[in-house]
Amino acid sequence: MMDTKKLKQLAKDSVYGLISVCVFLCIWAFGVRTSDIGIVMPGPGKVIYEFIQSFFVPIGKYTMPGHILWSLYRVLPAYIVGSVLGIVIGIAMGWFRYVNSFLRPLYEMIRPIPPIAWIPISIVWFGIGEGSKWFIIFLAAFVPVVLNSISGAKSVDPLLLKCGEMLGADKKYIFRTIVLPYSVPYIFSGLQVALSASWATVVAAEMIRSSEGVGWIIISSMDTNNVTQSLVGIVGIGIVGFILAVMMRELEGRLCRWTVREN
Amino acid sequence: MQMDSKGKLIPVIEGRKICKRFSSKRGEKTVLEDIDLSVSENEFVVLFGPGQCGKTTLMNILSGLDVPTSGTVYCDGEIVQRPAPERGVVFQAMALFPWLTVRGNVAYGLKARGVPRDEWMERSDYFIKLVGLEGFEDAYINRLSGGMKQRVGIARAYCNDPKVLFMDEPFSALDAQTRYMMQDEIARIWETEKKTVVFVTNNIEEAVFLADRIILLTNCPSHVKKEYRIDLPRPRDYTSRDFLLLRDEITKQMDSTL
Repeated sequence: MMDTKKLKQLAKDSVYGLISVCVFLCIWAFGVRTSDIGIVMPGPGKVIYEFIQSFFVPIGKYTMPGHILWSLYRVLPAYIVGSVLGIVIGIAMGWFRYVNSFLRPLYEMIRPIPPIAWIPISIVWFGIGEGSKWFIIFLAAFVPVVLNSISGAKSVDPLLLKCGEMLGADKKYIFRTIVLPYSVPYIFSGLQVALSASWATVVAAEMIRSSEGVGWIIISSMDTNNVTQSLVGIVGIGIVGFILAVMMRELEGRLCRWTVREN
Repeated sequence: MQMDSKGKLIPVIEGRKICKRFSSKRGEKTVLEDIDLSVSENEFVVLFGPGQCGKTTLMNILSGLDVPTSGTVYCDGEIVQRPAPERGVVFQAMALFPWLTVRGNVAYGLKARGVPRDEWMERSDYFIKLVGLEGFEDAYINRLSGGMKQRVGIARAYCNDPKVLFMDEPFSALDAQTRYMMQDEIARIWETEKKTVVFVTNNIEEAVFLADRIILLTNCPSHVKKEYRIDLPRPRDYTSRDFLLLRDEITKQMDSTL
């Protein structure tokens, strides 16, 4: 239930957020008008106008919603597969000692490699179609989810485990009813990081060769030297990323009601 | 109650020559030394002693949460080596499952052992009512106050129908007012649902109020200094003359061990 106090707080927070956005836009507008940057870079008014315009006038083959849907089509399947596999492997590594000893070295080697470093290899393996893009985004999602799932399963309170044993639960039951739920908040923070990473990686993935997607908007603007189009693409990526993060937080709030304190 | 082949009563919990040593870089530290004790059926035994005397360690060993360095613990004549449902524990740190509701916590043990739904519903209902949490069945743990949380811990341990109930300073995290109330509650619950209880505390009032027998432990290395049988009629009165006399005597004894 939202009470008035909470609502007031929310309104206050929004006002502060709005102020920072306005200040940013003012500095931008001022900078463009008073310096040489104005020669190559449009002001915020033009970018916002073009952004709204892009919903009706296609850039390349599609309008903005079309490009966004294309990018989501590349991100979501890879993100979901990467996350599910990441949770399974991460929990197994965090809970079973020997799974960890076995997989840890491999994982630690893959972990620091940025997903875009795999672009050439992924083209060799999967061609220049959707496969190579999915592969790169898969990696972007998989790595952080594994890391957080490991720490979730590893940090289970030993007292709760003993408590489960004291109450007569066997190993399987303890795993299902204590280890897994304990890890859920950790998994979610991994999923959150992974979602941002996957969405950020789509730009790189669409460099591989594409003729649509928000990443493509930026890549193609480079060819035509169209800075405004580039900024429109950036705004699109930012807004969609923001919406995805909010949706994810909402889902977490619903699934782990027990970690959310109600005062 | 069980008897051995010679017809002698077997205590529900028996500890023989229990020693516990911890070794660290600075050397070995003996916490428990040669502790013998036994608890018979439906007895309320309080392990009482000064601050850091190893009461909790002893309780952990008796319940199977910890293993002794030497010596043996028997529960109904069988050697205790690990935690088991016949030895229920109410933890000082409560150790409730925050992702479960009050009912989920209370019924956890029964569900884990595959008791049919009707039965665990009925039993958990009964014990939730007994500890006074009616109406909170579906509340998550983080919505409860400290006293209510510990009630959940007590109901959870009782619901599993253990042979012995161990309580490790269950009220130490509560404020004084709630503590008195919980002492009354536990005395009442124990009268309704007779159980063998081993209760750890460093609060003398609590000890005299609840115990059939108080086992006074000395400071480290801890051993049994003296035992007191408390025959005051129940429900007890904190301010009665006999209560205060006993309280003074045991306090003096404890001070002399420091």
